[in-house]
Amino acid sequence: MPDRRSFLVGLLAIGSFSQATWADVGDPAYVSAARHPSDGYSMLGLAQTGNITFNIPLPGRGHAAAAHPMRPLVVAFARRPGTFAVLIDCRSGMVLAEIQAPPGHHFSGHGLFSADGKLFFTGENDFENAQGKIGVWSLRSDRIRRVDAFSSGGIGPHDLHLMPDRQTIVIANGGIETHPDNGRAKLNISTMRPNLTYLTLDGEIVEQHEPPPEIHKNSIRHLAVRDDGLVAIATQWQGDLTDRPALLATHRRGGSLMFHEMSNDVQRNMRGYAGSIAFSGDGRQIAVTAPRGNMAVITDAHGRCCQTIREPDVCGVAAQGKGFMFTAGTGHAFTIQTGLTPPPTRHDYQWDNHLVPINRS
Amino acid sequence: MRQLILTACTWVLCTFSSAAETPDIDQIVDTHVLPGYERLVSLAQDLTAAANLDCSLDNDTLRTAYHDAFDAWVSVSHLRFGPSEQSNRAFALAFWPDTRGVTPRTLSAMIAAEDNVLETPDVFATASVAARGFYALEFLLYDPAFADQTTADYRCLLVQAIALDIERNAAAILSDWRTGYADLMRQAGQNETYRSDLEAAQQFFTSLSTGLEFTSDMRLGRPMGTFDRPRPNRAEVRRSGRSLRHVVLSLRATRDLARLLSDGDATLDAAFARSLQLANDLNDPVFAGVSTPQGRFEVEALKQSIDDIRALVATQLGPKLGVAAGFNSLDGD
Repeated sequence: MPDRRSFLVGLLAIGSFSQATWADVGDPAYVSAARHPSDGYSMLGLAQTGNITFNIPLPGRGHAAAAHPMRPLVVAFARRPGTFAVLIDCRSGMVLAEIQAPPGHHFSGHGLFSADGKLFFTGENDFENAQGKIGVWSLRSDRIRRVDAFSSGGIGPHDLHLMPDRQTIVIANGGIETHPDNGRAKLNISTMRPNLTYLTLDGEIVEQHEPPPEIHKNSIRHLAVRDDGLVAIATQWQGDLTDRPALLATHRRGGSLMFHEMSNDVQRNMRGYAGSIAFSGDGRQIAVTAPRGNMAVITDAHGRCCQTIREPDVCGVAAQGKGFMFTAGTGHAFTIQTGLTPPPTRHDYQWDNHLVPINRS
Repeated sequence: MRQLILTACTWVLCTFSSAAETPDIDQIVDTHVLPGYERLVSLAQDLTAAANLDCSLDNDTLRTAYHDAFDAWVSVSHLRFGPSEQSNRAFALAFWPDTRGVTPRTLSAMIAAEDNVLETPDVFATASVAARGFYALEFLLYDPAFADQTTADYRCLLVQAIALDIERNAAAILSDWRTGYADLMRQAGQNETYRSDLEAAQQFFTSLSTGLEFTSDMRLGRPMGTFDRPRPNRAEVRRSGRSLRHVVLSLRATRDLARLLSDGDATLDAAFARSLQLANDLNDPVFAGVSTPQGRFEVEALKQSIDDIRALVATQLGPKLGVAAGFNSLDGD
């Protein structure tokens, strides 16, 4: 937490900032939160190679991040359920602003910038009313401030992405009610109803889909979006583990949710829990990580199974080259290109849940 | 040569010690799971019989039967996998926490309409889980609002329907255990559900840790609320005065499971003993005291002692049973 003076200096600094680009911070391709065994928590930039380009200390364990489409700015969220995020200048490492969730709200840990970088959207749990919200923040002048909030279309929103039309948000409403009085305890498993919702940037719901009733306990959590609008969905099963439903789904607007079964073996080994999801660089494959199963699965873009990769505590994944970059809680970062697995880059950092690509516009 | 002997010894030691760490699954099934469900079925039958004989509110036999059967449920309520999760059986037995007050609302609607969902047990089994099970029964037996609202006849039929539904659900769980699930666990390694004894042990480990988590976060955490805003009205089954009793019963049950899983680990058992002592010393059956600084302090001490057990379970027992403690896999997201 910056003191008032550095906070104000930060606000002033953003004015002289307009020329800075991602090239000024070593052209990172990704950002990820991590823990260092001795230095605490950080937000780090990673190059395509998996090498670290910048390292900014965080006050506590981070979660996901969102990268500004033009400027070297990152919003880093606290580990969920958190109430704050920080807007960081990746050149100076300075916290430009602290973003505080309004009273009664928690951040889901995921957010996104509009294509012009002027608006920022946050997934939020309005926990007293058990309603999902999307917070809207303006980055227009030299500060970030809350300008609006609207319904996410469900309970327990988590990941959210901008669709290729740049006018639509797709959000994963996980369906699970939580309240800070009860830690992370899940309060409504028997009645939970997750959904995938598409909304305009003004909050108008334009399309919504739920899993079939027999798998209503399949929480929709993380998303990836391909350039043509295909959405890949990673779920977390809240029912009995011996049921082993599909944890991967895809969706295209106007169609229905398609769940993709994998072999009994693969689904069993994933332990009901998918951590992150990404399309490959060439868009022809989908990777889903399963940190509880110490594995990742790569399917084709239709969810047809699959190549499995054994890697302890693997969770982060993003496109790299034509294939993928993965990160793990062990410190490993590695790429997979058409079946080849070169040796991992080993870091002293324990990579946190998500590897977030920097999508420049 | 010396290196070889050393390697061989290490190998033998490792094999030996890992064998010693695998708990006796048969023993857990035969002494912990099956007797628990047998007791639940037997006492649920008594509850149905008592409700059928005399469903009036001041019938002490009915209230005693309710308490006894509920005790039996709480003592197996941590075993949330397999048969209890089929067809939402566990939720139909125990719909709590009810954060939106769905149970009283659904019951009221049912009563106002004199809903004919009571016609047969099979039809009642399709009713909302919120209007079934022990927590719904508590409203009917102990909440004066329901005694006033309803005709005696309909209330009586509703009490009998809920009791029979509890019995049928409990019997279905026990039957599934007896006719297949117990063998799946006993014969772990020879089936696809449990591919080794270790996997069966890990299932019980999950029951132990989630059972303790539920008691800490829900049974104690919900009424505690925050310091500025305690929530005594959220205490579990406070109307029938059972809130603290559930904490004690669940601690006893998870202590038994912890002993079986840890081969009687003394440190872990002492941690349970400490929590049970604090619970027994707490003279506050429905946690009404959370609104006062002293009362809150005492409930918080109990909660902390359970969190201490949870820490031991996660850091000592978990690794023994090969439960991964990865940075991401443990975090959940």
